[in-house]
Amino acid sequence: MTTVPAIDTERLRLRALGPQDFEPLCAFYASDRSSFVGGPMDPEGTWRALACEIGHWTLRGYGRFAVEERETGAMCGLIGPWNPHGWPEPEIGWDLMNGFEGRGYATEAGRAARDFVYNSLGWTTAISLIALGNDGSRGVAQRLGATLERQFTHHRFGEMEVWRHPAPEASS
Amino acid sequence: MTLVPNPPVIETENLILRLPEPCDAEGSIAFRTSERSRFVGGPDSARMAWSNFASELGHWAIRGYGSFAVTRKGEDRCLGLIGPWFPGGWPEQEIGWLIWEEAEGKGVAYEAALATRAWAYEHLCWTTAVSYIEPDNHRSIRLAERLGAVRDESAVPLDPEDLVYRHPAPEDLQ
Repeated sequence: MTTVPAIDTERLRLRALGPQDFEPLCAFYASDRSSFVGGPMDPEGTWRALACEIGHWTLRGYGRFAVEERETGAMCGLIGPWNPHGWPEPEIGWDLMNGFEGRGYATEAGRAARDFVYNSLGWTTAISLIALGNDGSRGVAQRLGATLERQFTHHRFGEMEVWRHPAPEASS
Repeated sequence: MTLVPNPPVIETENLILRLPEPCDAEGSIAFRTSERSRFVGGPDSARMAWSNFASELGHWAIRGYGSFAVTRKGEDRCLGLIGPWFPGGWPEQEIGWLIWEEAEGKGVAYEAALATRAWAYEHLCWTTAVSYIEPDNHRSIRLAERLGAVRDESAVPLDPEDLVYRHPAPEDLQ
């Protein structure tokens, strides 16, 4: 069994997901903001999604983190490595909870998550899948130095872009 | 991640019930992608089945309990997922059972369901439990009846057509 590390950045803390994250996830998945990542979903679907995120850690030895705003303790994002069965290759995903957009949090946590997969998991490359039209997420990929590589048809989310991150030696 | 601080293990006459582990994924996915899962929302794609097994693990972390992997003594191979089950949106706490084909009809599900029900009453302090069963799942209905559960028509079903079987209360099992 894997222990989920806690990672601090300047303004954020990446930590293990838990039952306390259900409420902010419900608000996110109930909103149209989740339409790029498989939503909207009802609370029942959200509960399963949270359970799946936690189980992903057990099955893969890694998974996405709950991102907390250090100043307030508020759960503001679901960010980190993600590679469920059927994924084209391991990716770094970032979902910001409602009300936390536009502060650079996805970029800050995304960078920390990328450092984690390169330094602690030994990944030699990483992608991020971004739904067509998700301009906010595209901006994060660009700020992280990723480049658009190709398109990919997701079985549920439709057409997506594959953004390739700089390799470990280029991103450190 | 560590799903619960002190993972429980239940021993019965013939079985060891333990937390599900990554090595149990294959059997669960085989079940979920087969026609045998038709009474529990299947068959699913392999992707959905993988996510579903991940959710089984996450259920433990969120609730502190969940389905046990059922194994025969001396043979650490998962034969099914059985035990207390209460995902978000469920009307009541359930004793659920999924049994892989190789272990069907051998009393394994009965022995595991009996033990996990007793565990839920003793360790989770449940005062009642139900099992949600589709009306044409005859094997499952027989198992519920063998466990002493009876139809409760006043209980809220998962889906309108579902049958709700209510288990004997802890005091009725003394």
